[in-house]
Amino acid sequence: MAPRSSHQPASTQKGKNKIRSASTRRSRKRLLQPLLEYAQDAIALVDDAGCFLDANLAACQLFGLSRQALLGRPLLDFIDAGGGHEGLNLQTSQRQIGELRLVNSRHVFSEVEYSLTPAVLPHGHLLVLRDISRRKAAIEDELQRQRQRVELFSEVTLKIRQSLQLKEILHTTVTEVQRILRADRVLIYQVLPNGTGKTISEAVLPNYPTILDMEFPEEVFPEEYHQLYAQGRVRAITDVHNPAAGLSECLVDFVDQFDIKAKLIVPIVQNLNHNGSTSPNQLWGLLIAHQCRNPRHWVDFELELMQQLADQISIALAQAQLLERLEEIVEVRTAELQDVNRSLKQEINDREHAEAALRQSEEQLRLITNALPVLIAYVDNQQQYRFNNNAYFDWLGKSPGEIYGAHLQHVWGAACYQRMRFYVDSALSGHTVTYENEITLANGNQRSVDVTYVPHLDDQNTVKGFFALTSDISDRKAIERMKDEFISVVSHELRTPLTSLHSALKILATGRLGSLSTDGQQMLGIADESTERLVRLVNNVLDLQRIESGKVIMDRQAHNAADFMVQAAEAMQAMAQQHEVTLIAQPQDLMIWADADYILQALTNLLSNAIKFSTPGDTVWLTAEAGQDEAIFRVRDEGQGIPADHLERIFERFQQVDSSDSRKKGGTGLGLTICRKIIEQHGGRIWAESTLGHGSTFSFTLPTLKE
Amino acid sequence: MTKRILIIDDEETIQTVVQFGIQMAAGWEVLTASSGLTGIQTAQTEKPDVILLDVMMPDMDGITTFKKLQTHPATEQIPVILLTAKAQTAEKRQFNDLGVSGVITKPFNSLDLPEQITRILHW
Repeated sequence: MAPRSSHQPASTQKGKNKIRSASTRRSRKRLLQPLLEYAQDAIALVDDAGCFLDANLAACQLFGLSRQALLGRPLLDFIDAGGGHEGLNLQTSQRQIGELRLVNSRHVFSEVEYSLTPAVLPHGHLLVLRDISRRKAAIEDELQRQRQRVELFSEVTLKIRQSLQLKEILHTTVTEVQRILRADRVLIYQVLPNGTGKTISEAVLPNYPTILDMEFPEEVFPEEYHQLYAQGRVRAITDVHNPAAGLSECLVDFVDQFDIKAKLIVPIVQNLNHNGSTSPNQLWGLLIAHQCRNPRHWVDFELELMQQLADQISIALAQAQLLERLEEIVEVRTAELQDVNRSLKQEINDREHAEAALRQSEEQLRLITNALPVLIAYVDNQQQYRFNNNAYFDWLGKSPGEIYGAHLQHVWGAACYQRMRFYVDSALSGHTVTYENEITLANGNQRSVDVTYVPHLDDQNTVKGFFALTSDISDRKAIERMKDEFISVVSHELRTPLTSLHSALKILATGRLGSLSTDGQQMLGIADESTERLVRLVNNVLDLQRIESGKVIMDRQAHNAADFMVQAAEAMQAMAQQHEVTLIAQPQDLMIWADADYILQALTNLLSNAIKFSTPGDTVWLTAEAGQDEAIFRVRDEGQGIPADHLERIFERFQQVDSSDSRKKGGTGLGLTICRKIIEQHGGRIWAESTLGHGSTFSFTLPTLKE
Repeated sequence: MTKRILIIDDEETIQTVVQFGIQMAAGWEVLTASSGLTGIQTAQTEKPDVILLDVMMPDMDGITTFKKLQTHPATEQIPVILLTAKAQTAEKRQFNDLGVSGVITKPFNSLDLPEQITRILHW
């Protein structure tokens, strides 16, 4: 490259000198000239104003002008204003490097790297430009391609992830790979445990044979390869027929069947994770791309894509496995739940049956209770009705609905409830009680009722409530009243004629109204004795009736048992003497709670019996002793005794052991019954013990006073 | 010392046996009346030493008769012994509360009456 004076702009002296000096060195530089001229880089010389003084061929091509046209033009004309580059600084002595965007005369843009070396000649600066457009474009292409791959990859991954169905995932994979790689066939080959394998998913162009569902013998994919693939081996075969591919002959024959020219194989490994322990990777299968048209050189991107998708399949496999296990668990749980459900249904069924049976028995119970002319109810421990029969409606005019849940007081009224209360409390403290009450029916009638409460205890013996049975005893009460009145009236009415009879006979017996024959006197004696017995009988009947009717209220007071014993013995002493019987009383100081008159009556009655049934010379004992919370009185004789089967019965009315014998002795047959009634009214017990031929003992108890 | 006894009882047989028994046993004079009303009249006029009064009588019973006797100055001082078929302690107590001198329960032996009366009235 030789500067030519004709191309020189208006020059200075200094310039001329330089040129001159240059021409002197021309011969030395000649060697460099073609080098510069044909250098790859554009090389130019610019003046202080940035106008071209000289340029090589590459520079002319870069700016799209002949050297002639280029010389004298300022570099600035070719710098792209929109490039954002700062202009070159020609005023500095520093070497400058950078990049520029140029636009040439044909409006072709190019990216250049420049280096400006100022003042290589006087007012001449060396500009070296290297076109880097292609390189930049290549980089951008690569970036673009990478971006596309990323997009593609996420798109495929998304598609794969959108499904949990392995089959669908595999299908998506082969379809997408086939689409992206524009391969003729993409398939997934599953390695089976016995070493054989099978194509389980395939995307193939229509003009090539399908190998879907085709099973391959073990030889096609020998065991030793498994390990290699399991460790991540990838095979990219450009041409199966090329010996460099290293395919065995039989394998080449095999692939020829399917027109396979090139293939790309990536493993799909399975990371088996059982019970948290990680086992080494296992080869599950292969993702394979086939090229059938022609051999194909597989690029890195394609390998990478295949590998990444194979990894996705691995993940999907793991998920599928988890899903499968989950499904197994769900299945097991479902089976368990179904079992539970079945037994639950059975239980419900059983309960329904039981309930139906219960309902039926309840209906029967209701039917029975409703048919009875008595009040039947269940009252809970809050004194509220929980069951009642129809009689409540008949008697009280209150429907079961009104009564259910209602309090006793609400149903019966305050006054009646006041009379019931003691017994209700007693039942709720666990005692069975029976009492009589007067109630008013809905129609205003007064009725006498007999009421029984039976406590309802649970397993823990807690009172849950009580069963109440109320029956109308008005009729019975009326009859009882009539009986009592009758007995009372009869007894009273008998007394007056008896007085006359008794007195008349006694007067006759004095003999002052005329003397009778011996037979006559005997008859008079019989009449007199019988009258006395009749008097006793009337007295006893009246006594018994009064005690039984409850008209007598025992006037109980604190007494010393010894006093009773002394009084009773004194009263009976005369009779004892008459019968030649020794009466021995052994008084004991015991404080008892009793009605003095009645206890004396009982004691004298027992003593009288003992004396009556003793033979002359016998002894009758009256003793007492302290028992637990009670005093025990005993009247013992040495008489003939009482047969065991009579020991209970003798306390019943008119149940003497030998009635004719008893009557002879002036007994009425009511004495022991009266005794028993008196003792029971005092809360005591009375009983007889006897040894035949050796005498009897009559005992009774009375409550003692607590200190 | 002889006494004058008035027996008021609607039963004639009682009047008779009482009359016989007392006369035989003690030799006392016995006046009789068959109703409360006649009994009161007899008591007013005869002023007996004691009146034996039956409780159960038609028209005017023994209790009413006793109360009338009590209201009359001529008879209020005369001791009265009731004759009753009711033998109960409580009833006896009730009669005593009325202010009668005593109670003798039927059936009784009329021969024993003078002794009983003497004991009751502390003669």
